[in-house]
Amino acid sequence: MEQFAPVKRSKDGQPVRYLIVDDSVFARKNLARMIETFGGQVAAEAGDGLTAISEFDRTHPDIVLMDITMPQMEGIEAAERIVQQHPEARIVMVSSVGYQENIVAALQRGARHFVQKPVKPEVLYEVIKYVLGDDGAVASAAGAGA
Amino acid sequence: MTNPPDERGLELRELFFETSLELLQALNEEALKLEKKPGDEEIVRVIRRTVHTLKGDAAACGLRELSELAHQFEDALSLESTATQTAVAEIAFAAADVFTEMIAAYRNGTKLPSTKNLSKKITDLTAAPASGKTRRTRKAAAKTTTGKTAAGKTSTGRTSTGKTSTSKTSISKTCAAKTSATRASAKAVALWTEYEKVAMTKAQTSGLAVYHVVVKIDPHCAMPIAGRQLIHNALAAVGQVIAVYPDAKSPAATKHVEFVLASSQTVAQITAKGRIPTISEEVTIELLLEAKAAPQAAADQPALDPEADANPPEAEARAPEAPAPAAPFGTVAATQENVLRVEASRIDSVLNLVGELIIGKSMLQQALNEFAKRYPKELLRGKFGDAMAFQARVLNDLQRSVMKIRMVPVDQLFRRFPRMVRDVSRQCGREVELDVSGQDTDLDKGILDAIAEPLTHLVRNAVSHGIEPPEERRKLGKKPHGTIRLNAYHHGNQVVVEVIDDGRGIDAQKIRAKAIELGMTNAEEAARMTEAEVLDFIFRPGFSTAEQVTEVSGRGVGMDVVQSVLHRLKASVSVETRPGQGTTFRLKLPLTLAIIKALLFWVEQRLYAIPLNAVLEIARTFETEVHQVDNYEVLQLRNQVLPLLRLGRPVADGERKAKLFVLVITVGERKYGLIVDLLEGEEELVIKALDDHTFHTDLVSGASILGDGRVVLILNLPAVVEHVARSRPTELGHCNSGLLLSHTDRARMALTPVEGGQA
Repeated sequence: MEQFAPVKRSKDGQPVRYLIVDDSVFARKNLARMIETFGGQVAAEAGDGLTAISEFDRTHPDIVLMDITMPQMEGIEAAERIVQQHPEARIVMVSSVGYQENIVAALQRGARHFVQKPVKPEVLYEVIKYVLGDDGAVASAAGAGA
Repeated sequence: MTNPPDERGLELRELFFETSLELLQALNEEALKLEKKPGDEEIVRVIRRTVHTLKGDAAACGLRELSELAHQFEDALSLESTATQTAVAEIAFAAADVFTEMIAAYRNGTKLPSTKNLSKKITDLTAAPASGKTRRTRKAAAKTTTGKTAAGKTSTGRTSTGKTSTSKTSISKTCAAKTSATRASAKAVALWTEYEKVAMTKAQTSGLAVYHVVVKIDPHCAMPIAGRQLIHNALAAVGQVIAVYPDAKSPAATKHVEFVLASSQTVAQITAKGRIPTISEEVTIELLLEAKAAPQAAADQPALDPEADANPPEAEARAPEAPAPAAPFGTVAATQENVLRVEASRIDSVLNLVGELIIGKSMLQQALNEFAKRYPKELLRGKFGDAMAFQARVLNDLQRSVMKIRMVPVDQLFRRFPRMVRDVSRQCGREVELDVSGQDTDLDKGILDAIAEPLTHLVRNAVSHGIEPPEERRKLGKKPHGTIRLNAYHHGNQVVVEVIDDGRGIDAQKIRAKAIELGMTNAEEAARMTEAEVLDFIFRPGFSTAEQVTEVSGRGVGMDVVQSVLHRLKASVSVETRPGQGTTFRLKLPLTLAIIKALLFWVEQRLYAIPLNAVLEIARTFETEVHQVDNYEVLQLRNQVLPLLRLGRPVADGERKAKLFVLVITVGERKYGLIVDLLEGEEELVIKALDDHTFHTDLVSGASILGDGRVVLILNLPAVVEHVARSRPTELGHCNSGLLLSHTDRARMALTPVEGGQA
């Protein structure tokens, strides 16, 4: 896997903390691995929307990676509820091309960004840097493109 | 304008027959609107435009009778005095019907229906008031439509020369090219509507600068519409978005997006905000000047403005039949040049090939696994693995794209209901309002076509059985007019279509009594049934509670057809009813018919599969945990009692300690436990239909081939459940373990009910 310059929180230099929400264990592990290469840290994982909400409340992650189709509660609803409670939440929808309308709906309800499944690390990396904006800092300039 | 017998002519006709359906649909829709707002000029104008297009198209195909009749109607509508009459809506309905019949007659080469009736009605319409027979001036028409989209404008170029039936094809072609060219330039300069201009000036006076932001969307972005929304969000964070072009549904929307943004931030700041990695490729920002900005914007586009609305005579001279065939549908008109009509069967064959490829993929995967086992140190493995992963990804995309082609919005289906509801409610003296939502939900075309009939049936039923007559409703303290809601939405891997009425609901007691009367059950059993079980009776063949058979419904055929169609689609239908408050029919449909995610398991040394989305959970238990209630096997799982379906042979007493796998599945609204011997795993299956010769059972809905060449049967769960429910054990103590699937003869692949298992 490619090496990325680690992205840290600009306020305290700590690793960026993530909540990964996906009903597929594989997908979660895959994302977790990518995140680790970005120097991030997985604060929690959730397999459905309801758990995602409670995990968010518990861990207050910097970024949520949210799948769309899940049992119990779909990603869009979960995203909407989280944003209602925590307007500062940065939610990135993760979904396949077929769910474009759902992504549009999620973005209208407060999601910050989206990445397409299968997730390409370099794309996710850029998205995360964008979503963090000034709250994220690339630790060393080496290798961080664009 | 002779009948062109050549191939091209035939092709043209075929195209006309297809597009005319849309026109007639539009005619029906507008007539419905007009009925609610009699005399509304705008609606009459749309009707006239539609009829005009139909006329022109028919003439181009050499369908003289249709063209003439349409012409007569159109002419009548262009008279000021007639257009405002209330009878117009009625005639528009009649015209739509006659036109439909005529087109069907042309299509099948049968005798044309009589048009005298309609013709006379139209003549009556024009004859009624003798005064004020002035042709509506074009100016007025042009004026009222100012501020519409460019497409709308060009199509108002309705002309008197249109009568002369010139051979339309060549002209309309050049003209289509022209309009698309103007449209393109229109978008480049951007055309602001009155409202937007006002908003811009307002923003300026409040101290904001107004920018024109054009963002080119990265061509690699797989989800440009979502990207567009994201850009919108980003810009909305730095200012106020006044306008967005082009429409999200237009094909150009995937390439670029334009905003009018009022903001206090600098160009650099906005550019930075609009530059989103992987989504926007290029951001260009133009400052629309302060005080003079809005007029300037207007002055920027003289190239378009006069052509589009202020200059109809010119348009007329150049293009006698200018309106594109689908002009009444704004979006359709706009997308026309990019739309390709393809026969569904061609797409199916591509999908079929994709299916074969997927099988090929799993064959390769299997071979690779074996290879890896045999030569664990071989370096080539990695290379193979990479290639496989790449291929799998592309294949996945390919499959999705092909499926996407087959998807159409349910609106195509929903659109036909307003007219139908109107007709049926008149027939049975009901007042019904139809409320449609979720019409953008996409559904496989094949499924859409298949549910058309069942859905029609459900809606008819809702009108004639569900909604009470107005006086009865009044007595009950309800609004005199009932509401029927058609709703569609995605739910996980399924699409749900609902028909909701606020009528009298279904009386479970009545159903119970009727079922006993019809001998479908006995009193004792009926008393024990839950309401859901009782409601299930309405789906049985020959069941009807209507006291009298009406013209529209109540013949007792239908609901069983509804259910059988849905079963065939691996879909389900459920009812929810509250007496006095209404009924909801909920159809749960798969997204696609061709490929499913399935759970594979073994029963009696044979491999079977069920759709994964029917599986709620998998439980392990012991034979000793299985209890018998009423000769049915049940399992207490946590705090619920689960009826069990045993697919294999009932166990002998000696094996009572054996462990069991129970798949908890949902069929309709209810849960069951499926006892299986062994689990294999989940896999994406390409469904191959089985013809009736090889297989004579409804318990299996299809088969699939796995990567290693094994054949797996896909169970039709609703049928399996029904089978168990119907086969009731007669002797006491003889447990109904169902035993649905067994094969006494290995050589023959067959499913047979075991002796005594079935009533």
